[in-house]
Amino acid sequence: MSDLTVQDAKSIIEEQIETLKKRNKEPEWVTELRYKGLKAFFEAPHNDPVIKDPLDYIAKAEEEMYPEVKSLDELPPEMLALLDRLGIAEVEKKYIAGLAVQSDTSIVLNDFLKEWRKKGLIMESMEDAVRNHPYMKDLFMRQFNPYESKMAAYHTAVWNGGVFLHVDPGLKVPMPLHLFFLIQNSAMAQAPHIIIDAREGSEVHLIEGCTSPVLVRHSLHLDMSEVYVGKNANVKLSVLQNWPEYVHTRPMTRAIIEENGEFINTTVGLGTGRSNIANPKYIVKEGGYVELNGIILGQKDYYVDLGGEMDLEGQGARGMNASKSVIMDKSTVITRGLIRAKAPKTKGHISCDALILNPEAKMETYPGLASEVDDAELSHEAAIGKIREEELFYLMAHGLKEEEATQLIVKGFVNPLLKDIPLEFVIEIRKIIEMAVSGGM
Amino acid sequence: MNPLLNANNLHVKVKNGGEILRGLNLVLNPGEFHVIMGPNGSGKTTLGLTIMGHPNYEITEGKLLFEGEEINELPPDERARRGIFMAFQSPEEIEGVKILDYLRLLLEKVKGVDRLKSHDMVMEKAKEVWFTEKELARDINVGFSGGERKRFEILQALLLDPKLVILDEPDSGVDVDSLSLISLKLHEMQKEGKTILLITHYGRILQHVDPSRVQVHIIKEGKIVMHGREKLVKEIEEKGFKKVFEECGCNE
Repeated sequence: MSDLTVQDAKSIIEEQIETLKKRNKEPEWVTELRYKGLKAFFEAPHNDPVIKDPLDYIAKAEEEMYPEVKSLDELPPEMLALLDRLGIAEVEKKYIAGLAVQSDTSIVLNDFLKEWRKKGLIMESMEDAVRNHPYMKDLFMRQFNPYESKMAAYHTAVWNGGVFLHVDPGLKVPMPLHLFFLIQNSAMAQAPHIIIDAREGSEVHLIEGCTSPVLVRHSLHLDMSEVYVGKNANVKLSVLQNWPEYVHTRPMTRAIIEENGEFINTTVGLGTGRSNIANPKYIVKEGGYVELNGIILGQKDYYVDLGGEMDLEGQGARGMNASKSVIMDKSTVITRGLIRAKAPKTKGHISCDALILNPEAKMETYPGLASEVDDAELSHEAAIGKIREEELFYLMAHGLKEEEATQLIVKGFVNPLLKDIPLEFVIEIRKIIEMAVSGGM
Repeated sequence: MNPLLNANNLHVKVKNGGEILRGLNLVLNPGEFHVIMGPNGSGKTTLGLTIMGHPNYEITEGKLLFEGEEINELPPDERARRGIFMAFQSPEEIEGVKILDYLRLLLEKVKGVDRLKSHDMVMEKAKEVWFTEKELARDINVGFSGGERKRFEILQALLLDPKLVILDEPDSGVDVDSLSLISLKLHEMQKEGKTILLITHYGRILQHVDPSRVQVHIIKEGKIVMHGREKLVKEIEEKGFKKVFEECGCNE
């Protein structure tokens, strides 16, 4: 049980809301929403297998502000070092693609993004976005309800940081945009809010790197993403998670995919943190397509639960939920998925594959299929197993050490789901897998 | 000089099963070409896998010496690094691992080849066994035809440049052209001074090999019961094992 009383918690959150309101000079509707979240926090249900009492994660706000950074050169050295380690600095040098680095509420844009702003691509911090665009009211917190859970409520009350990405109708962004959250001012809960607003016929790929090593004091991360995929639009959202081990993460994702739109959502949980629980939900309209690709590296005694609910609401809508988990040490990985076919000629498939590298590691999978029509095609497959001895022997007989052979097999196992991730990141991801496998052996 | 490989009174038991090799003796000197034949279940593949160090095959008695050193307990990768190679009868499929990446890794890790050179080396050798650049982007053995699988095993032998090449039925399930190519490569490997241990049912794989160099051993119930030259292969193909065993009194 938390040391805080409900009254303590209420006044702490209130104080946080007032601080954010003042700091961000936010419109009234935003503050009203925050107070709605505060109210909901004490009324909404709470159901989390790891975090028993969310009050434990409410900390007093401290006055601690980093100076605002305007360009990449001004980033603190430890953040630059981190970008370097992730290969981001290299990527940035090689490609002029959109790299935005967000440190708390300020966002650092590069020249590419400034240039494309004129063509109709907006990428700005959520604090700026709610001030700058009155239509944010129709997008912000429209796919969530603070009363659905204490986590959603808490996020609504104290969200800070995050990004707004808008793509004008018909605008096709040729290169992936990279957004890196480097969260350092950590007095408050980390609760960035992300909105992707891809209008009709547009195309965009956002790569989100969430990483916040050493700099972070907070141990609960509550990000929320709302994605709007317009008619015939094509959106890819790839999230690379590499959390330090003291962080609990509860990413919340929702998306609406309009007619013939396409949304490919890839999440790579390399460092999942102590626990990572997510249940993204997608609504797919006529002819639309959604794909959730989940790669999970379960390490130590971490707890990972990846769901994914897809409502196929329009005729011919399709959904695909594929996960590949590599489970080491004493970690627990649960994958679930639920596809509901609500319209004729819809198609859905769930596949869960897991490689278990340690007898103490645990894996559970619960695929769910529900059909309200008689001509939907729904299927699922699951395969959980160890690395096959014959496979290992084949590689070792040709001279690879057991460790090298295992690394190769694991990298091969996850490879099919990395198809939408640019090569520079795939190389980094492979390195992380190699290290994890060696550490787990 | 030590023989390259010396299997001395080898008794081998399969995990959760019975004894398969029952006192097998075999001496391979450098540069020799040996053919192992025998009925199904006689222990041919077990012999190959035991030499390679498969964890399911336990040597319960006898010694396996490579270049004079006992290797009974050596893990398979160590054996490979010392120069033992096996071309598998049914090579494993490894999904998600591209051939080119794998072969370069082998060269770098096993042979210590520089990363800058490994690409060209793979390309050059791949061409010799009819692999195109496009095919090298495929996953290891996934969706391969019989001929492709066997040629891929040969490609690994060419790159690893071993001292002893064990081939477990490189002629099974193979198209005629691939068979001829593999035979030619066997001939070349032998000319380079490699020692060959070929497990087969048929003489056709020997089409390009100098018959006068070939030594044939017939294995029955885990023991070598007959030795001969190339014409023994023809005799077995014509008469079958049953008849040959009757004639030699090997059934006693």
